[in-house]
Amino acid sequence: MNKSLLLSAAIAVASSAVSAETLRIPHELGYGGSESIDPISPQRFYEAIQNVYSRLVRQGDDGRPSADLALSWEATPDAKEWTFKLRDGVTFHNGNSFTAEDVAFSLMRTQSPTIDSPTKGVMEIIDRVEVVDPLTAKVVLKQTHADFPLLVMDYRIKMLDAETCGGDLDALCESGIGTGPFELVDYDPLGTTTLKRFENYYDGLAGVENMELIAIADQDARVAALQAGQIDFIYALSAEQVPLFANNANFEVQSVPTGRWVGMVMNTQEAPFDDPRVRKAIRMTADREALGKLVYGKDGFIASCDHPVWSGDQYRAEIDCAQDIEGAKALLAAAGYADGLQVELFVSDISEGAVKMAEVLQNQAKDAGIEIELVLAPSDGYWGDVWMKQPFFATGWSQRPADQILNEAYRSSAAWNETAWNSRDFDAGLDAARAELDFDKRKALYGALQTELWENGGSFIPVHLNTVRAFSSKLKGIDPVEDFSLRLENVTKAGSES
Amino acid sequence: MTSLILRRLGFAAFTIAFVSMVMFAAVEALPGNVCTSFLQRFAQGPRLERCIEQQGLDRSAIVRYGDWVSGAVQGDFGYSLKKRKPINELIWDRFSNTMILGGIAALLAIPFAVFLGIAAGVRRDKPLDLSLSGAAMLAMTIPEFVTATALIYVFAILLQWFPAVTILPPGASFMQMLPNIVLPVVVLSAVLIAHIMRMVRASVIDAMSSDYVQMARLKGVPEHQIIRRHAVPNAMIPALNVIALTIAWLLAGVVVVEKVFNFPGLGTLMIEAIYDRDLPLVQTIALIFSVIYVGVNLIADLAALALDPRQRRKGH
Repeated sequence: MNKSLLLSAAIAVASSAVSAETLRIPHELGYGGSESIDPISPQRFYEAIQNVYSRLVRQGDDGRPSADLALSWEATPDAKEWTFKLRDGVTFHNGNSFTAEDVAFSLMRTQSPTIDSPTKGVMEIIDRVEVVDPLTAKVVLKQTHADFPLLVMDYRIKMLDAETCGGDLDALCESGIGTGPFELVDYDPLGTTTLKRFENYYDGLAGVENMELIAIADQDARVAALQAGQIDFIYALSAEQVPLFANNANFEVQSVPTGRWVGMVMNTQEAPFDDPRVRKAIRMTADREALGKLVYGKDGFIASCDHPVWSGDQYRAEIDCAQDIEGAKALLAAAGYADGLQVELFVSDISEGAVKMAEVLQNQAKDAGIEIELVLAPSDGYWGDVWMKQPFFATGWSQRPADQILNEAYRSSAAWNETAWNSRDFDAGLDAARAELDFDKRKALYGALQTELWENGGSFIPVHLNTVRAFSSKLKGIDPVEDFSLRLENVTKAGSES
Repeated sequence: MTSLILRRLGFAAFTIAFVSMVMFAAVEALPGNVCTSFLQRFAQGPRLERCIEQQGLDRSAIVRYGDWVSGAVQGDFGYSLKKRKPINELIWDRFSNTMILGGIAALLAIPFAVFLGIAAGVRRDKPLDLSLSGAAMLAMTIPEFVTATALIYVFAILLQWFPAVTILPPGASFMQMLPNIVLPVVVLSAVLIAHIMRMVRASVIDAMSSDYVQMARLKGVPEHQIIRRHAVPNAMIPALNVIALTIAWLLAGVVVVEKVFNFPGLGTLMIEAIYDRDLPLVQTIALIFSVIYVGVNLIADLAALALDPRQRRKGH
């Protein structure tokens, strides 16, 4: 009796010691201090919104949608009407209940032309949201989409409190009131933003009591701060910084695949790239493993075969794209370039490793008789003057789910169709995949589209980038998942004595 | 005398006006503009047109320069798109932080350096002089970012006596700031001390070998009085200009040191602004720096005029 009492007291003391800790995360000031706490703002304050708000659905361990604020969902056979059953008893930080009204408000405002959110293009598929009852929302789409839950899994599609935001669909809502595991205490994107854990979070108390988001714009300063114990975590290390933490017992290093990619783009409408044999020949000259190691280090990448779907995506097609110099030469000869080919490649320091990647490709392509002349363009004005203006140029994209990236970059009518990819069959394939309710068949359809890009497309996408993070070994519960799926509410921090 | 001072003031004003023109022209010469650098990949169609209209970029460069100057004269530096704030709100906190950092460094370093310079000059070629001069050479040749990184490694990472980077809670008081500025102040002072000390030492050596010091010695004036009454006051005149130049150097040093320590001053703001292509903010900070630079040199000129009657003659 006595013993167990003592034991439970000891556990109570130990757990309260743990829970009084503060998790200190650097804020990279990606938008230079113009950060907004509104999740759909073009300058969303990612580190804060990740912890303050919740989504309807979140990414499960298998990459497929799993329950968050919505417990379940089902579609009509034409996949045009989606009914979401909401979790009961969820409250916002201000005590308001979370209801279907909030779902309708949060989804419809993403389309606002005034806010002009980056999510607008994708979310415009929603025609209207009907409030069936307080815990049931029906989303009616303008067109069929068998994977609609994937769209609302986006890290920016968070649920806001309609009442706090005044119900105004066209205004940014910067109250910071959400249903997430942490609530906002003090908001200062240029300094330290303070959060504390939300006592009524539906999924249990967060592992640490407080969180500080500390603005440190400079990567070297972040590294020094982690080394000196002023912060607990760094999102992304460069290849050169990994050794600073790799062999140190005070820190842990974690390398996880992401959907970010850097690549080279050939305009499929302009000579000589209007010939698919030329495009494929250039892409076949690449030794992707060697290129990845040279540019991003051995733990920095996962090789890909010129399609944009990353390794963690449920729809990724595994294709074999080994280097084939003889094959490339044969294709070039067939296309009328038996004596070799000379092209100009426009690159700039726009994305991590873009220039280095171009240099490696230049060297690898030489063996097949392809002379690539690198033209270094200034990064000022690159996106306006070079990108999608020259026939052959560098690009970089952040992570997107398969359906979204394929539609944003390869649908013939897309604004960012950088390869000028104009294929009716491909567009029809995109529509067919969206309409297919059976998962395996849908996967096969998306797979065929990726194979088509490898065979004929204009993108050279040799690798998807890993993110390498470092954190104090006092932290437990940091899952090896990419940043958007990371759940900091599960992280605990041991006291400084232990 | 008055006309001399007025002439100096006029020249300073002209310099600042000229610098502002060069800066504006340099920013104009960059590819793209405020809107394309802010919108990046979204810089197309109606979004770009709206931004250009809001920012008034459809007007000619001369009109915009005139607008900017008349705003700046009235203390309105425009708006930072990147930070979504009027530039006025952004800079003054940072300005005072930088002034605190630079001011403390200068206040500590200058008297100390003058004292060391005199001590070394008076004991020329003695062990004290040799070791001080050697240390000064070392401090002058090692770049401040190297010193800063070394100090961070030893005192922040190994010993954990001071923070490695500055993390200030909102509205931090001076006392909260203090532990954060120890290392940056040490780095800045080291170079300041080295430069000023070398110059003071040289001047003191000159003065000590001058005829009037010889005369005083022959008259039997005690050595400490010679140093205090005759050598040091005369040695200070050339040293003043060096002190002014060194304080002006401090502006460049502060940018580097602030960056290494993540100190929330004008220097880090300047680097962020350059990195973000936040052009109005870059222009403003560069203007502030040039005003400080010109101002410090003006004060040194005027102080030299006051100390040295020879300079007040016409033709100088």
